[in-house]
Amino acid sequence: MSSDKGGGVTVSGLTVRHRRTLALDAVDLDFAPGVHGLLGPNGAGKTSLIRVLATVAAPTAGRVSLLGGDISNHRERTEARRRLGYLPQEFGYYPGFTVREFVAYVAWLKEMPAASVPGAVERVVERVGLADRIDAKVKSLSGGMIRRVGIAQALVNDPALLLLDEPTAGLDPEQRFEFRALLRDVGTASTVIVSTHLVEDVATACTEVTLLDAGRVAYRGTPGELSALGDERRPGQEADPLGDNPIERGYTTVLRSHRQLLPEARR
Amino acid sequence: MNGTGARTDAGPTSPVRLAPWFLYARSRCLPTTLAVLFATAALAAWSSARLEGLPEFDHRARVVVTFLAPLLAAAAVGTGLLTRSDTLDRTAVRPWWRRRLLHLALLTALAVALLGLAVPGHPEAFGAPAMMRNTLGTVGQAAAGAAVLGARLSWLPMTAYGSAAYLAAPRTPGGPAAVWAYLMQPGPQVAAWVTAGTVYVLGGGLYVWQGARTEA
Repeated sequence: MSSDKGGGVTVSGLTVRHRRTLALDAVDLDFAPGVHGLLGPNGAGKTSLIRVLATVAAPTAGRVSLLGGDISNHRERTEARRRLGYLPQEFGYYPGFTVREFVAYVAWLKEMPAASVPGAVERVVERVGLADRIDAKVKSLSGGMIRRVGIAQALVNDPALLLLDEPTAGLDPEQRFEFRALLRDVGTASTVIVSTHLVEDVATACTEVTLLDAGRVAYRGTPGELSALGDERRPGQEADPLGDNPIERGYTTVLRSHRQLLPEARR
Repeated sequence: MNGTGARTDAGPTSPVRLAPWFLYARSRCLPTTLAVLFATAALAAWSSARLEGLPEFDHRARVVVTFLAPLLAAAAVGTGLLTRSDTLDRTAVRPWWRRRLLHLALLTALAVALLGLAVPGHPEAFGAPAMMRNTLGTVGQAAAGAAVLGARLSWLPMTAYGSAAYLAAPRTPGGPAAVWAYLMQPGPQVAAWVTAGTVYVLGGGLYVWQGARTEA
């Protein structure tokens, strides 16, 4: 990875409603190239945000600009999809497909030039550490390996915008360590947005963290700044109920103060 | 890793195995669907010939074949519309409706042609026209079922409807039954053709427009 691939993500007034549930409430955010961690409790709106950015779900209201194009415009959305990589929580695969075939299938979805697909597939599968299983059926792989296949398909088109929803679920500690290094590498030139429950992923791999709660942005800053909020609370105290390490304590501190402010803001 | 240099025509890295059309066909289980369509046509041809040959029956006994074979063929087409990587597919650069249209149109044409050939002779009474019309209508119902219920259960509404029509249809063709029991009409009834065609256009259109319903 070397050159900046240009363009980031800007959302303004983004609202997503699922029947009566408000998943995102007029959210304004922007993401420049780098690795961005998206934290928050279950139901905070992380997956809803990622799905809108991946263009698989339409927002109820608001504007979304991906890589310089407005996704409400058909042509610009199409161009953005070409340069987008996405790993959903459940990506679904075809039981008869090998790793090579599945990743090639996604390369085809991205309209990569046919001649470049075989080489790109082999490179990306090697990059996620599955070179020796490239011709194994996906269904024969372990959960962690299948997750890595998912990461490979998201990277196959060398995306300018990479969206990962719970990418480290099922990975063992060594694989998570390698994955974070991979994220940092991709984030040098691309915009990477990672939704996760694991604050240690954010602490070690992300340049910026966004904390969502109840469909709103509760906090934005660097992982260091979030950790500092945890350090300010109860220094030196063991078995702190807010968390085991500074970033966990920072996360809990922000969430609690946001929940205290939220009812007032909605009044 | 040796890049693409070690590719062979039969191996896992062959250009054919990684060709888009080949990957698409396998992802939608097209080989299985085609095998079921050919087997259904062969079974229909054998059973209709056998029924006609029985001393106590004549060609009108083929009503069972022109009723069951289209249901089976449509079930194969409908369940084959399952998309396992639905979320990733929705990030595709090209819109899917053209592929869905081509997929459904080609399979419908093949099913109609194969099953039409399975019941030769006596076109006025449960011959090729009735078989082709019923295939068209049931495939339309299966496509609508895939869009509304999901591909796995796409066979259910048409089977329920078909069973009710088989049991309740009057023995005399034509009249209102040519519409609500089009599956049981012997052949030349225009209303039955219009109904089957309308069902196909609406059901197929619904599927082409929105795709199969997402399934867990």
